[in-house]
Amino acid sequence: MTVQLKGRAEAITIQWIPKYTTLERAAHWLHTATFVPLAITGMILYFPFLQPLAQGPAGMTFRLIHRVAAVIFGLLPIVYFIFQPRRLILNIREFLPNKDDIGWLKGAPAYYLLGRHEAMPPQGRFNAGEKMNGLIMIVAWFVFGLTGVPMWFGKGIIPPELFRWLVVFHDLAMIVSVCMFLVHLYLAVAHPLMWAGLVSMRFGVTSAEYAAEHHAKWYYGPKRAMEIWEAKKREAAQKGGH
Amino acid sequence: MNGKKSSETHLSRREFLGLSALGLGISLAGARSASAAPPAASPYDVAILYDPVKCVGCRACQMACKRWNKLPNESTDPLGIYESPRDLSAITWNIIKLRRTAVGWHFFNYQCQHCTDAACVEVCPTGALSHDPMGFVALDREKCNGCGYCTQFCPYGVPHLQIADILTGAAKSAKCTFCQDRLRSGIGGPSCAEACPVGALTWGKRGDLLEKARARVAELQAQGMNARIYGENEAGGLHRLSILLDEPEQYGLPSVPKTPAFARAWQRIIQPLGNVAFGAALAGILGVFLFVRRKIRMEEVR
Ligand code: HEM
Ligand code: SF4
Repeated sequence: MTVQLKGRAEAITIQWIPKYTTLERAAHWLHTATFVPLAITGMILYFPFLQPLAQGPAGMTFRLIHRVAAVIFGLLPIVYFIFQPRRLILNIREFLPNKDDIGWLKGAPAYYLLGRHEAMPPQGRFNAGEKMNGLIMIVAWFVFGLTGVPMWFGKGIIPPELFRWLVVFHDLAMIVSVCMFLVHLYLAVAHPLMWAGLVSMRFGVTSAEYAAEHHAKWYYGPKRAMEIWEAKKREAAQKGGH
Repeated sequence: MNGKKSSETHLSRREFLGLSALGLGISLAGARSASAAPPAASPYDVAILYDPVKCVGCRACQMACKRWNKLPNESTDPLGIYESPRDLSAITWNIIKLRRTAVGWHFFNYQCQHCTDAACVEVCPTGALSHDPMGFVALDREKCNGCGYCTQFCPYGVPHLQIADILTGAAKSAKCTFCQDRLRSGIGGPSCAEACPVGALTWGKRGDLLEKARARVAELQAQGMNARIYGENEAGGLHRLSILLDEPEQYGLPSVPKTPAFARAWQRIIQPLGNVAFGAALAGILGVFLFVRRKIRMEEVR
């Protein structure tokens, strides 16, 4: 594909490689489309300054929207698991922490704030930040479901002592996941280095050049990725030398 | 773009202050009115006093409550117990039950305790439950959205949901309102206390009732009963005072109601900390956005 980028005289050719399945992309966007209303309708009960919205029939309607969205939000990962169990397990496995995460943490400020590419050691298909987002959302999904369902049907059945802890943990899951969501949103739509993420989630593909740069261990394999990075570091050191 | 001075690639003082203000603003957005300490009951508040020794179990109070508040009948399983219905519900706000205590079986009246440090008011997201200036805990059913938090946080199990639909969650909370409409319109006191033929339930200024209760407790103690007042300090001071002849637990009443403190910890510590997290996240992201926009050029990115 040929693309004309703003500020560049010549056209550039981008080679696309597959990254996500259609189901993954659909599930991701449906998840977003339910998470946002869930957060907003939940916050109407949470923030005292939104109290006027929580009152009477309006409040009852927002609680109903919360429930309708919660059903979709809750079922999506299950549908994904039914249709593409191996993809789901592959993704979760790639979310698990490993040694690359330490390098990412050390390199992140120089890389994300200053754009110093040589500061970032090669990463796998997901880097530590993406893993953190993935894992927090997975844990939050369980916490929302395990607390939300008894909050829905449990009043008068479960002990009130338990219910009180459930609302508190539902709130904690909301606080953590909404903060993570805000960071995720910024990186996806507004950070210049992350431009291909949104493309991947919309069209299922990523640029080969982007993958080589951001997910070298996935693109080249771990050994070759490390060699390339060592060379890049040496080059940067030489340049900085004079 | 290349003509930018190096100082422009950093955040200006104004931007930094603006971001800090934004973070602080969001952190405080959810803050509740200043004090996290429970309020104290005033002697000029209205209150109800219940004396179980005088009670003859006629249930005039229960009937008067149903009648004034237009609450329908409830059918009960005939279990051979002098209790009907068995417990408070969305349509029974006042009830006479039998308790077995150190002095044997006797009657006891249950209704909302009208706490000063009311867990139900603290957790209510709509303001449907509120403290009336007269002291009791009022309920505005128009504002209620049926979330049911009050039913789960009340240390006395008082509010009940009138559930229209479990699936949609459509419901309304219901509980004794101290006959708020009677008091506000000046018709008189709570119908239960007005109806009691033997003076077991009385109402008046809380300070006067406490004095009366102290005298009565001294009298009962002189007769050899282990009498005490319940509600003087519990949950910030109740507006329904009771004379007990045994430990509160024998009546199903907690010696120390714990849920008001739990509710306050949730509403005034955990939630505000969450708001600090939102404020920090948003201000941080915006700061990084402004900074990165100048540091990294899209044209140089592969
Ligand atoms: C499986 C998914 C979920 C279920 C079953 C669920 C269910 C519930 C229920 C039953 C309530 C109590 C209010 C009511 O009875 O209507 C509630 C409240 C709430 N939910 Fe959810 N929810 C889910 C997901 C979420 C998500 C994803 C968020 C936010 C990102 C969220 C945020 C909240 C908040 C903030 C409250 C109010 C708690 C408070 O009063 O402080 N929920 N939820
Ligand atoms: S007894 Fe329960 S319903 Fe009544 S004021 Fe106290 S917390 Fe609220």
